[in-house]
Formats: sequence, structure tokens, C-alpha cells
Amino acid sequence: MKLSKEEIQFIDNYLIKNEVKYWDVRLELLDHIVSAVEDKIVNNGISFNEALLEVHRGFGNQFIEFGVAKSDVFEKGLYQSNIGFKKFIRQKQKEVGRKYRKITWKHLKIKFTNIQFLIEYIAFVLLFISIYKFSPKSSFLIGLLVLILPNIYSVYYFFKDKSARKSLSFSMATGSAMFLWSMYNLSFYILKESYESVANIPYIIFVLVTCLFYPLVSVNIEVYRKVYKENKKIYNLKFYK
Amino acid sequence: MSNSKLYKGSLNTIILQLLNQHDKMYGYEITQKVKALTKGELNITEGALYPALHKLEAEGLLDVEVAKVDNRLRKYYKLTETGTKETVNKLEELAEYIRTMQALVNPKLA
Repeated sequence: MKLSKEEIQFIDNYLIKNEVKYWDVRLELLDHIVSAVEDKIVNNGISFNEALLEVHRGFGNQFIEFGVAKSDVFEKGLYQSNIGFKKFIRQKQKEVGRKYRKITWKHLKIKFTNIQFLIEYIAFVLLFISIYKFSPKSSFLIGLLVLILPNIYSVYYFFKDKSARKSLSFSMATGSAMFLWSMYNLSFYILKESYESVANIPYIIFVLVTCLFYPLVSVNIEVYRKVYKENKKIYNLKFYK
Repeated sequence: MSNSKLYKGSLNTIILQLLNQHDKMYGYEITQKVKALTKGELNITEGALYPALHKLEAEGLLDVEVAKVDNRLRKYYKLTETGTKETVNKLEELAEYIRTMQALVNPKLA
């Protein structure tokens, strides 16, 4: 027996209420749950609600009914126990994060063996130092802009394609761009102890930080492009809410 | 995964081998296939299957593809080239493990 469009929509809403907000996680869970519910209705002869409750538990969502009738369970509080789904998302985040770290590291290694990039890097450093000599404040502002480039990319994709929103893959790629940003903030934080105020910190330090992180900025943008391309290839559409 | 903890260490090999025998499979299909092949002896739970699939995907051993099936999207897993090579290694490892255990548990058969 195949579930109707409405029943599938009901399960999708149930997942949203269970805080499975990423569509690229939800689509896999939805297919699994629908398949399992269909199977249980046919082979175990149970109702839709009973089947969904069994599958809900199967994911490790411990639900205690407290004497509530199964038909009322969906109204009263099935959504309160989503520990299994939370674990599912956490584990997926962990693996995607591991995958991106691997890609970042691989790209970084390639960059440092690529003559073209090394020339680009040297040119960037020289240009940046020249700007610093000409106008230290400008070099600080340009440096800031360079370091937030991956974040600008993340915002760009957010507006360009709605499938990039509420996507675990993109959220993790943004996370690695935020890591870069937090490293920059960390340098502020460490240095502000040695100086009276942030304004007194010599600009040269930020120039050095920018030069140091430039390869990582470049790799981060590459990772973004790769994630976007991969998602485009796999899902091949702009489709989800 | 229910049944025995002994199966736990072999879960990746089981998934890789199943995908080696089938062009592509989706999550629920894998659980049902294992259940059928083992006549209900081995029951892979969702909590064990998906982390393993996502890990194998992150390691580059599996590739994914999405298709629309019955009013919903279905995510299929298939082996990459590296995955196919790794399956051979994992199966050899498993065979070696079985031989070693056989020698320990039942020396006459080893």
C-alpha cells in the first residue's frame, strides 16, 4: 500500500516539528519513514498512526505515552521526544564536517605545490605590504574584506539559490568560513590584552594575519563552490522550502 | 544494530558488499535486504545504518544520487571506484578474521 500525498506531507510536517530543519537530512528520513510505514501497514496489519509511532521509536526517539491513547499521541506530544533525530543530525554534521576538513586540507596541500598559486600568493603579500606602506588603515580595511570573503560567498549563495538555505551541507561549509573569521577575532582578542584599546593595535599585525590566512580564504571559497556544484549535481534542482 | 555486538564491527563491510552486488541501494532497502538474507537473524537499526552510510560517504567510498519516487525524493547510495577497491580489502579482512576465530574456537575445522 502506497501512502497518499497528504500522508507523506503529514510525515514531512512531523519531521519539521521534530526539529529536522535541514531539507537535505529530511528528505532521506522522509523516504525511510514512508517506506517503513508502508511496509508495516501491509505486513503487520497496523494503522498509519501505529506504524509511524513504531518507526518513531525505531530511530531511538523514546516516547512514554503516560496512558495516552495512541490516536491522541500525535496531538499530545510525539514531537517532544526527538532525541533520536537529534542524534541522527549530530552524527551527519560530524561526518560532513570531517569531509569538509579533509577537502580543505587536500586543497591546501595542492595549493602549496601549485606554482601558479604560489606566484599569486607572493604577489598578494607584496601588494598588501605596498598598500600598508602607502596607507596602513586601507590595508587593514582591505584585509578585513579579504578575510570575510568566504562569508560574503555564503551570503551570495544564500540569496542566489534557495536550496542553499536550511541545508546541512551549506550550513557546515559556512561553519568552516566562520572558523576563519573566529581565528581573526581571536587575534584581536589576544592582542587587545597587550594594548590599551583595539585602536592602538598596530595595523601591521592585521596585515600579517591576513597574509597568513589568505591561502585558507582561497580554499574556503573553493570548498563553497565544490559544495554548491556537488549539491547541484546530486539534487539537480532548486526545490525545497 | 540489534542482535549481537559481534556484528557491529562488520557493518561497513556488510554495506559495502551489498552495494557491490547491487548497482545502487537506498537506506531502507539495505535494512530489508540484510533482514531477508539473514532470515531475520540480523536486524540493522536506523541508528546504526545511517551513521555508517554517512561515514562511508564522507570517506569517499560511497557516492549518492537522488531520484523522485512515489511523491518523494529517494537518496541512493552506490560505490565509488575507491569504494569498490576498499570492498575487496574489507572482505579479505573479514575472511581472515573468520579464519582466525575458527582457529581459536574450533581448531579442528581451521
